[in-house]
Amino acid sequence: MQSAIAHAHETHGHDSHGDHAHHHDVSFIRKYVFSTDHKVIAKQFMLASLFFLFVGGLFALLIRWQLAYPGEAIPLIGNILPDTWVSDGAVTANFYTQLLTLHGTVMIFYVIIPLAVGMFGNFCIPLMIGTDDMALPRLNMYSFWLVPPAGLIMLTGFFFDSGTAAAGWTGYPPLGPSSGAGQTTWLISLFLIGFSSIMGATNYMATILNKRAKGLQMFQMPLTVWGLFITAILITLGTPVLAAAISMQLADQYLHTSFFMPDNLLVGAPDNSLVTGAFIQNGNQLLEHKQLLGGGGQPILWQHLFWFYSHPAVYIMILPGMGIVSDVLSTFARKPLYGYKAMIFAIMGIAFLGFIVWGHHMFQSGMNPLLGTTFMLSTIVIAVPSAIKIFNWLGTIWRGNIRFTAANMNALAFIATFIIGGLSGVFMASAPVDIYIHDTYFIVAHIHYVLFGGALFAIFSGIYYWFPKMYGKMLNESLGRKHFYWSFVFFNLTFYPMHLLGVGGHMRRIYNPYIYEFLQQYQPMNQFITIAAIILGFSQFILIFNILWSLKYGKPAPRNPWQANSLEWAAPAHPGHGNFDSDIRVYRGPYEFSHPDRESDFYPQWEEPQGVESHSHEAKEHSHSA
Amino acid sequence: MSFDFSKAMEWAYKDMLTFFPENVSTFGSELDSLFAMIYYASVAIFFLTYAILIAFIIMYRHQEGRKAYYYHGNNLMEFTWTLLPTFLFAGIGLWSDDAWTKSKYAYKVPNPDVTIDVLGYQSGFGWQFRYPGPDGVFGKKDRNQISSANPFGIDSSDSHGKDDLVIISPGGARPVEVHLPINKNVLVNLSSNDVLHSFFLPNFRVKQDAVPGQWIKVWFNGTKAGRYEIACAELCGSGHYNMRGLLIMDSQQDYDAWLDQQYKIVKPELSAPVSDTTAIAAATSDSTTTKN
Repeated sequence: MQSAIAHAHETHGHDSHGDHAHHHDVSFIRKYVFSTDHKVIAKQFMLASLFFLFVGGLFALLIRWQLAYPGEAIPLIGNILPDTWVSDGAVTANFYTQLLTLHGTVMIFYVIIPLAVGMFGNFCIPLMIGTDDMALPRLNMYSFWLVPPAGLIMLTGFFFDSGTAAAGWTGYPPLGPSSGAGQTTWLISLFLIGFSSIMGATNYMATILNKRAKGLQMFQMPLTVWGLFITAILITLGTPVLAAAISMQLADQYLHTSFFMPDNLLVGAPDNSLVTGAFIQNGNQLLEHKQLLGGGGQPILWQHLFWFYSHPAVYIMILPGMGIVSDVLSTFARKPLYGYKAMIFAIMGIAFLGFIVWGHHMFQSGMNPLLGTTFMLSTIVIAVPSAIKIFNWLGTIWRGNIRFTAANMNALAFIATFIIGGLSGVFMASAPVDIYIHDTYFIVAHIHYVLFGGALFAIFSGIYYWFPKMYGKMLNESLGRKHFYWSFVFFNLTFYPMHLLGVGGHMRRIYNPYIYEFLQQYQPMNQFITIAAIILGFSQFILIFNILWSLKYGKPAPRNPWQANSLEWAAPAHPGHGNFDSDIRVYRGPYEFSHPDRESDFYPQWEEPQGVESHSHEAKEHSHSA
Repeated sequence: MSFDFSKAMEWAYKDMLTFFPENVSTFGSELDSLFAMIYYASVAIFFLTYAILIAFIIMYRHQEGRKAYYYHGNNLMEFTWTLLPTFLFAGIGLWSDDAWTKSKYAYKVPNPDVTIDVLGYQSGFGWQFRYPGPDGVFGKKDRNQISSANPFGIDSSDSHGKDDLVIISPGGARPVEVHLPINKNVLVNLSSNDVLHSFFLPNFRVKQDAVPGQWIKVWFNGTKAGRYEIACAELCGSGHYNMRGLLIMDSQQDYDAWLDQQYKIVKPELSAPVSDTTAIAAATSDSTTTKN
């Protein structure tokens, strides 16, 4: 404890960045495990989330196998899995439902959000605004250390007799509260990870508002920082609502409340009596599980509360990616970002509209159809800032000098897939069109185009871009390109056909689609998708191999390997605790590429202007662009 | 495990719109043409943006000695590509609203020719249907009388309820068929006694969640006789996939004949509790096993 205090004192008490020799005697645990260094915390988020990426990916492949070959034993692992999960080596219906629930939950809450927000937020914000660490380093450490227990609690559900949560990642009541202990661990786990998000987000806002380097105006910050800043606002406004909804569902399970439960429900099979027994009249053993206590609750209330968080959560996952992509594109096109301010206002617009569109998830839920009209119009309007961003990215590469690094390829892929994801969103935004495609594979295709094709490709791009600064080693470019090509091709082969399945009426979350005559014709297509998905999954090992190989054999990274402008590249190649070895002063915006008055094609934010002339010219250009 | 590559690739040569199952309802074609309109607009935008993206990637690829254009953007362009999508998307929204109100607004539901009650149920995963019986009037509902034997909670003190026809159709390969007449406005009062379900008639372009504690009106008008599948589109438990139902759309004559036949089974037992109608389900459906 004493060392913790001393350590905190060091972090807060010294403003000098150069002298951090006295940090070397910090114990291994303090340095690598319970570290308050934002860079170490970012690496911890990366490690944990990449682990969960493979866990969630495995769930997805088990789901895909069942859809392609229902009832056939899973290759390799089918016969070693416990009997509660498989029968004759094939996934059971119950386990399938658990898998689809956990796939969604893990990928959203334990992969994309921690990667996009936890990892890049921690790594990029202090470096890109030119400061030594987060405003609240200790809080930052706690925000990571809630993730492992939360993840563990989430996964323990699989080992319960009744299995883990099986109400979908949306956990809709009455199914949610009327299922077993797995739902409870799911709720607790989400509560914890939400808490982690809130702690991180407050910290990001405090840091960005208070700790910017000398001379750095808000409107001189790179888009990555802007994306993360707005994301932090979304998190602090949205996540408490999710926490409240989770608490209400827990109360419905255990405290005899009925926020979401109407009266006279005939809920649950006998094995659920563990949870709902207190409510249930034990009459006829088989079916008379009638809920007599409570009542008067409204299942749709949960949907409102859940989507009030979970729709902004989509933007929590994509806005940091949009920021990353903007920075990467501009750097590798060697060109200023097109419409810097328009891009920021578009992010703000998306964030604001993101809070008033949640009802589009509920067009068929039974809410008043008048609300459907309202939400349809607000949802359709949100396509506008998204379109602005697409056009500005295209404007950024226009007349550029584009270098095709692995980072930039992933960024370009983000644009390509986000166009498709955005367009498929318009179908669903139209409430009458949504009647038919709601809860079909069209939605599954859309969400994966936005979250895999969008968020994850942006995350890959960010990993390739900042890895040199994170570890002081360059990632292998050729492996990086291979990873990109395989991922991009098989991503599209996996998820594009799902649009067609959706138009064919193929419902999501069904264990065996071929019960339905009208879906039997789609089995070959499902097999195709499954094979593409397996290749897509295995392609990700190239990334892992690349990371491990490069850590050991990678070329040492120079200070500014991409000849970029933003402040993180002013730090040493592998910055230690405290980040910078010189005082940082900011003279210009982050996108001064290919300035006509300069020999080199970049003009870092921290470089002192050479003469009065170029400075005034630069200022003139700025006022012109504004 | 078998894999037929040519069959698995068939989708690649087909247009998205050809994947729709046959539409057999009056407003279905309206929804399909809305879909098609957005589809064509999307395809146009897709090719436009991809052409630009690919052209830029090729034209402005890295060349030694070339310097990129130092340019921060242009407000006129920003206004243009803000306003154009706004008009396009607002147009789509306003255009959509008509079809939405027509299919969902309660006050727009046309005068029904036939009214039935439908419940999704979880213990066995299937659908329960209620027809008003020979007297044409539904018995009153009493939520406190809901039980698995009386899922609709038909008030035992209401004489109109005595002859109500209740059909319980477990899901799976051989559900109990229910019949409805074509070219008639059918009103379905939809609810559930346990968890959420979603009443999905792919061929009719009908989808509506069934919410316990709440009766939701769904309507459609079928245009073609035939045998159509009923699906559940909201996760309702591990048997969700199995909630298949069968809807037979008949001419009025055939429908009346079927209804008479069903009532004959009920009528001899008019004095017995309504719950005995579950026997019908048991008699007509001998198996609920799944088929792979």
